[in-house]
Amino acid sequence: MSYILKRLGRSALTVFVVVSASFGLVRLLPGGPLDYLRAQMIQQGGGDLSAAEINRRIAAQTNIAVDEPVYVQYVDYMTSIVQGDFGRSIWYEEPVASVIGPAIPWTVFLTASALFLTFTVGVSLGAFMAYKEGSTFDVTSTGVGLVLNSTPSYVVALLLIAFLGYQFQLFPTGGRYASELTPGLNVPFLASVLYHGMLPILSMAVVGFGGWALSMRGNSIRVLGEDYLRVARLRGLPTRRIAIRYVARNAILPMYTGLMIAIGTVFGGAVIIENIFAYPGVGFYLIQAINARDYPLMMGGFILITVAMVVGITIADLTYGWLDPRASGGESREAY
Amino acid sequence: MPRERHETGRDASDPIVEVRNVSVTYDLENRDAMVLDDVSIDLRRGEILGVVGESGSGKSMLANAMMDAVEEPGITTGEVRYYPESDAAPINVLDLTDEELRELRWEEISMVFQGALSSFNPTMKIRGHFEETLKAHDYDVEEGMERARELLSDLYLDPDRVLDSYSHELSGGMSQRALIALSLILEPEVLLMDEPTAALDLLMQRSILSLLDDIKQKYDLSILFITHDLPLVAGLADRLAILYAFELAEVGSTEQVVSNSQHPYTRALLKAVPNLDAPLSTMQPIEGTAPNPAHAPSGCHYAPRCPLATEECHQEQPPWFDVADDQRTACFHHDEAEEAVALEPGVVDA
Repeated sequence: MSYILKRLGRSALTVFVVVSASFGLVRLLPGGPLDYLRAQMIQQGGGDLSAAEINRRIAAQTNIAVDEPVYVQYVDYMTSIVQGDFGRSIWYEEPVASVIGPAIPWTVFLTASALFLTFTVGVSLGAFMAYKEGSTFDVTSTGVGLVLNSTPSYVVALLLIAFLGYQFQLFPTGGRYASELTPGLNVPFLASVLYHGMLPILSMAVVGFGGWALSMRGNSIRVLGEDYLRVARLRGLPTRRIAIRYVARNAILPMYTGLMIAIGTVFGGAVIIENIFAYPGVGFYLIQAINARDYPLMMGGFILITVAMVVGITIADLTYGWLDPRASGGESREAY
Repeated sequence: MPRERHETGRDASDPIVEVRNVSVTYDLENRDAMVLDDVSIDLRRGEILGVVGESGSGKSMLANAMMDAVEEPGITTGEVRYYPESDAAPINVLDLTDEELRELRWEEISMVFQGALSSFNPTMKIRGHFEETLKAHDYDVEEGMERARELLSDLYLDPDRVLDSYSHELSGGMSQRALIALSLILEPEVLLMDEPTAALDLLMQRSILSLLDDIKQKYDLSILFITHDLPLVAGLADRLAILYAFELAEVGSTEQVVSNSQHPYTRALLKAVPNLDAPLSTMQPIEGTAPNPAHAPSGCHYAPRCPLATEECHQEQPPWFDVADDQRTACFHHDEAEEAVALEPGVVDA
């Protein structure tokens, strides 16, 4: 119990530091966002705006009141973040939360589907490779897995969009669903969502499963050589039980932390892919923000991605003891 | 009177497992490595048979062959006959189908391994191991778990605590005893123990051995006990079989083998046993090293290291000689052994 509290405390501290750093970045970078905003407003206002008015507008957009002392600015900024107020996007002229918020489910849909695919395909393939260790199938899959795992996802994305999107026109080249459909729980809409998501998901899945397969293969081969597996076979346990309860369970265990870190990246894991497929998700807006120097939006995106990662790793840490009885207690374990 | 090599112990009344001419070979690139060479031995009903040999002499292979559990790519040849009842027709273990073998293992012939900690699934409680074994063999789980509790308490363990533990929560001695209980859960007739105490400290070894005798009586077991520790098993076993370089050297009652061995290897082995009471100078290592399984000598395997070896020994494999009542030695020079390898009295207590 005290471990859980400590662990949660550490995560909270990490998030706190991240948000503080984001404040520091916005506030302190020379020629940074605040100067940029000020210059922009002076330009737009043509000298009509008073310095106080400019400061007031900057404060509204970034949650940073420039004419206050730094510590007051900091407290204000942190309080707003805690209240879910990330400032206003300069480009979209809307609160950051209402730009990013609606984009989150779409990004999560892409990355979570891709992760689910890569993990299940990778783990099954890896286990199968281990059972067939040394066969042509094993050697070929290892090679293919290595090559795909070393390929950047955007290369696959570009190939997919070039051929399946433009050349053969089999898949849409952008958007989240066909614009004439009404969003809701109806079949044409869901089908369209799936159709539009297919290529982005595929680009991430194709390069992802190789890594999982290779680790699963290695882990399974190790488990297959364990004494307890031999004892289980001699005890006459059904093959299915041995495969699932003995091999799979013990081989997947070391990959669990990796999986949780991967889950932590579902909010920010598709930045480049979303841009290639013009898919308005978190990553899409993040790049937009960078291009448009939309600092409040950028900071909001960064904070969201970091917090998601910290949450993922915390969940991994807290649940690991439940999955692997040897790790319970965990007073001395590393934490992030 | 010399006997044929496969006749070891044929006249023994009431064997439960007969091993006849069993060899285990591994097919290496261009020659076969024989890790068990034409071994014939009986396990008698209700006895504890100690099999002693140095590392790599084929002890574990013998146990594995007895339940046809030699791992790929090892090839087991010969015959293993199992007699469920005294007068019943034997079951030919090496000829069984996979399903018949699955039923024989653990239900009739069970095995305890060295390294109990690694014999349990680390992510499953001990209870799960008992339950899944009962289920896999269609035993009544409730009744079986009752038996598991009894077995555990017979082994001086707290059943509830052990059943609700993971293997990493048990000490070495506790998990070894839990493994013994697991091996007996389906009420087998034969228990093969492969160095079950090797990883334990001396105190724990002794206490497990003393438990073993009680367990054997209570559950009517016949036990094959494999070890490299001759003094350890001498106090426990009814009979001893000495294995050297994939072959049996000598088989006989413990007392005979320990105090009246007629085989130069057994005698040299007894001399190599450390003893606190005897001066260090009486302890002697055996010169040379054991042969490689791919290059075993063509005659007696011990001949290259044997002080008594003659041309005959290098050319021919010695048959069994009856050297005393219920004691057989595979040595041409068995009658000279006693003189050639003198023993300090009382090195090992039978």
